[in-house]
Amino acid sequence: MPFRLVLRNLLAHPLRNFLTFGSVFVAILLLCMLRGASGALANTAAEGSNDRLWVQSAVSLYVDLPLSYRAKIDAVDGVELTSRFQWFGGVYQDESNFFAQFGIDSDAFLQSYPEIEIAEGDYAAFERSGRGCIIGADLASTYGWRVGDSVPIIGQIFNRTDGSPWEFTVEAIYSARTTRVDQQTLYFHYDYLKESLEQGAARGPSGAGVYLVKTEPGANPTRVMSEIDGMFENGPLRVQTTTDGEFARQFATMLGSVPTLLNLVGGAVLFAVFFAVLNTMLMAARERVRDIGIMKALGFTDVPILGTLLVESLLLCGTAGVLAVGFVYAGQSGIARAMAGFIPGFKVDPGIALTGLGIAVGVGLLSGLIPGWAVARLTPIKALRTEA
Amino acid sequence: MSEPLIDLAGVTRQYQRGGETLRVLDDLDFSMPKGAFYAMMGPSGSGKTTLLNLLGGLDRADGGQVLVGGEDLAQMDGPELAAWRSVHVGFVFQGFNLIPVLNAIENLELALLLTPLSKRDRRQHAEHALELVGLKDRMKHKPKELSGGQEQRVAIARAIVTDPELILADEPTGDLDRTSALQILGLLQKLNTELDKTILMVTHDPVAAEHAHCTAHLDKGKLGRIEQNAAGRATADAALAE
Repeated sequence: MPFRLVLRNLLAHPLRNFLTFGSVFVAILLLCMLRGASGALANTAAEGSNDRLWVQSAVSLYVDLPLSYRAKIDAVDGVELTSRFQWFGGVYQDESNFFAQFGIDSDAFLQSYPEIEIAEGDYAAFERSGRGCIIGADLASTYGWRVGDSVPIIGQIFNRTDGSPWEFTVEAIYSARTTRVDQQTLYFHYDYLKESLEQGAARGPSGAGVYLVKTEPGANPTRVMSEIDGMFENGPLRVQTTTDGEFARQFATMLGSVPTLLNLVGGAVLFAVFFAVLNTMLMAARERVRDIGIMKALGFTDVPILGTLLVESLLLCGTAGVLAVGFVYAGQSGIARAMAGFIPGFKVDPGIALTGLGIAVGVGLLSGLIPGWAVARLTPIKALRTEA
Repeated sequence: MSEPLIDLAGVTRQYQRGGETLRVLDDLDFSMPKGAFYAMMGPSGSGKTTLLNLLGGLDRADGGQVLVGGEDLAQMDGPELAAWRSVHVGFVFQGFNLIPVLNAIENLELALLLTPLSKRDRRQHAEHALELVGLKDRMKHKPKELSGGQEQRVAIARAIVTDPELILADEPTGDLDRTSALQILGLLQKLNTELDKTILMVTHDPVAAEHAHCTAHLDKGKLGRIEQNAAGRATADAALAE
């Protein structure tokens, strides 16, 4: 098989082939990322903490729970600690600088999250300070914040009545031991928010978005969940208690079945790129019919002629696939960090990498085979009479 | 020159065109001795190119026998015919038909890929063939960087690089100016006289035909008269001297 001819043909149309190469590269990259994200979402339920439960409104995650529930939940047998968890939804400077902020109870938070460790500063100082906060290492790195810095956050749900931003002082910077927990969140004292609302210094809904519950060692989480749900069965607001994994999955898939959607998008991308490569190879084959006639006149049979187009297509798609998979595989920790805020646990495992490579090779094979088979079977005379 | 290299007996070739059967070659008998240089002339549609295609194994006869070098081409299947072509026939086309993305020497090496030669031997054979046509210094040039005459010389080099006994040339000077045409015809004569190649050249040009030993006339698929060309040898000498 004339390999040099394959290379020369590939280089004969650099722009067209570069664009096709680029489309395969981006498609495989996207596909691997979507598969990684989809896998992460699917795994959240399985990988959640066993002794962490979440109590939310049975109506919707958007409905806040009464603050009085904390003491009642605390009293349930098997509950060790309870923390209010309130989504703050503010922005830093403007809406382009959005990251998650939660009001929490510092006495229960860190013990409930053994995956979190304090990398800089002092958690005790955070517990002592009314306006203190702890921030994730990635967030600190993004904005260059250090311990002692003041972080102004403009409320979107909770607005200060004087129009000023909320001021939080960074008391500690945390890092996560697992990619399931993101490093891009700001946690502050829920009491700071509550007091501001009660004093009229701020406006916004009162109540807790959800309650984080840490169960005692050996406690049966199913029983605890059932007991908490049963306690509020008759109101004033019914609750739904879920495991940590299920809660994470629900939180990440509030818009619907995101894994299914991601897989559908991936499939659509796959088809789009297949047609793009097929179009390129059809054009290449059409342009080369006369060359194929020459090769046939020289004595080449159908198989090596088909091989030239097949190898050309495989080289185009295979190289793009290898590069895309290599790129996403090598950069997965960075991607995981970037996505941790909304899809924790992003990971490109060898299965995903192999799937990406397999798809690239498959697209290359089919795209080369279809036009290659058509032109390889032409008679030498018909091929020679074709105008390029 | 008595042993026939080409021996056609009762060859028929017909095509369907617009619901009509077109008999391009009609019970054709034609023989050509080994080492001969024949020109084949005739009006358009007389079957000249079809005859070349049959002799080169690019097409199949509907009837009759096509023997080339004693081998019956009708008995070969597609891959056998392709293998036979790669060894026994060299084609020279009117439009040169070089692969545009390959340079001169690579075009020759492509033909040699079907031989058991090593990479180094393929390069040596290709260089030698280009030297024969006087284009060794242009071996790295791509077809578009060559003149028409040079392209046709590369095509001739490609036709002989596998050392076939038969060269089939279809209007080899049709796209060339007179000077280049004479050079090509001189080169074909040189291949015939010095390398003992049997050449069948289809042409419309009587001047070109005169460079061959004989001119065969084809009309409506039937062979007409075959003329001896007295000027053939003299023209060859003149062209080579030039």
